[in-house]
Amino acid sequence: MATNFLEGPTNTTPRQTLALSQNAKSFFTSQKGWSLPYPLSLFLNTESQEKWATYENIFLATLRTGDHDAAYLCLEELTDRFGKTNEHVVALQGIYQEATAKDTNELEEVMKRYDELLKDDPALFSVRKRRAALLKSVGRPVDAIGDLVSLVDASPTDAEAWAELADLYAQQGTYEQAIFCLEEVLLVTPNAWNMHARLAEVTYMSAQKMEGGEQLKALSESMRRFCRSIELCDDYLRGYLGLKITTGRLLTALDGAKKSQLTVSDPTTGDLAPPSLASVRKLNELATAKLGEIVRRGTAGEKGWDGYSAIELKAARDALDRDTLKIQR
Amino acid sequence: MAALATAVNILGMLFLAHAVYSAYEHSLLPSSSTPTAASYILPQALDPKVNLPLDITLETLFSVFLLCAGVVLSSPELKPIQWNVWAGRLERSKEAREIKEVGVGGGNPYAGLEERAGFLDIRAASRGFEEWRQQQDGGKIES
Repeated sequence: MATNFLEGPTNTTPRQTLALSQNAKSFFTSQKGWSLPYPLSLFLNTESQEKWATYENIFLATLRTGDHDAAYLCLEELTDRFGKTNEHVVALQGIYQEATAKDTNELEEVMKRYDELLKDDPALFSVRKRRAALLKSVGRPVDAIGDLVSLVDASPTDAEAWAELADLYAQQGTYEQAIFCLEEVLLVTPNAWNMHARLAEVTYMSAQKMEGGEQLKALSESMRRFCRSIELCDDYLRGYLGLKITTGRLLTALDGAKKSQLTVSDPTTGDLAPPSLASVRKLNELATAKLGEIVRRGTAGEKGWDGYSAIELKAARDALDRDTLKIQR
Repeated sequence: MAALATAVNILGMLFLAHAVYSAYEHSLLPSSSTPTAASYILPQALDPKVNLPLDITLETLFSVFLLCAGVVLSSPELKPIQWNVWAGRLERSKEAREIKEVGVGGGNPYAGLEERAGFLDIRAASRGFEEWRQQQDGGKIES
C-alpha cells in the first residue's frame, strides 16, 4: 500500500512513522523538479496545503526514527517558506533542537532560547507549550504544571493545554485537580467522546483510594461519564470496556452499601443519587454483550470493523475472559 | 443494486426517447393539423393546441417516473447526519478515517486532545520508537 503522507506520526502508530521516514527520500526527489525564472514561475502552481503538511509529517517522523539529516532538510524547507519568525516554525525548530540535544547542557541551551523568545514576546503560545513540554520531558513535572497553570490563565479556552495539565496532575496522583481540568476541556469541546471517557477513567482511578459513600459517588459518576461517551459514539470500544469495569465494581460496592448512602442526593450541589442495582446490572449486561460483538467482529476484521486498535481489542477480550472465569467458579 | 439502477435509467431513457419521437411523428400527421377544441382546464396561453394520443402521454409520464426512480436508486450512500453514528463509523472502520486531503477525513477530530501535538515530547517519542524497533527485530510482536 502506498504511504499516506498526510497521516502524521503518533505514539500509537510506529508503523506509519517508519513508512513516512523511509519514504522521505522519494518525497524529496518528487518535490525537486525544474522551475522557471521569476515572473514565469508564478504560472506554475507548486503550492498546496498537502505539500506542507507532508513536510511537517516527514519532519516529525524522521525525528522519531532518528534520521536527523532528513529532518533538517524538511525544517529548512518549512523555514524558507514560512519565515523564521512564524510561530509554528519556531516551535518546530525547538523540537528539532530538543531531539538533537545530546546531553542536559544542550537541553538547557534550548530552554534558555525559549526563555529569550518569551522575553521578546510572551504571547508566543507555541513556545510556551514547548517550554512546558521540555520541562516535563526532563523530569520536572511540578515546574511544567506551574508553566501550564499560567498558560491556561492567559488562555482559558485552550483545550489542548487543559488536557495536558490534566495529564500531568493525574501522573502526580492529584486526581481532584485532574478532574477539574478535564471538566474544563469538556466545557470547550462538549462533544469530545474520548475526553468523556478519559474523565471517566480518571474518576475511576480516584475512586480506588476512596471508601464508602464517597467511593460510591465517584464510581457512579465515572459510570455516567462512560455512558455519555457511548451515547456520543456508537460501538465505542473504550467506552464499553470502561462501562463494564465500572459497573462490575459498582455492583460489589452497591451490595455492601448502607441504606443511607443509597438515597443521598444533594439538592444544593446537584449531586445525583447512586443508580439502582437493577439498572447497573442491566448496563453491565449490555456492556458485556456489546464488547462480545465488537471483539468478535473486530478480531475477524469484518468489513467496516477493522479500525479498532489491536491493544484495545486484546484488553476487551481479557476483560471478557476474566468474567467467564468468575462465572465458572 | 447498482446494476438494477442502471437498467432502470437506461429503460427510462429509451422510453423517453421513444415518446418524444412518437410525439414528433404524430405532429407531422395531416390529421393532427386540424384545430383542437380549446382546453377548459388550462388557460389560453398554456394550451398546447395539439391532440396527442393518450398512449404517448402515458409513455412520457412512465419514462419520467422510471428516470426519477433510477437517479434516486443510483445515488451514493447517504452520509451519516447523526453525531453518534458518524463518530461510531470513525472508531470502527479504517476506511472512514482515511485522510484524502488536508482538512478532509481523518479519525476522531478530538484525538488531538490526547495526542497533543503542541506538547510533543520528542525525546520520549523517539525512545518509544526505538523500543518498538528493537521488539520488531526480536520478532516479539507480529502486528
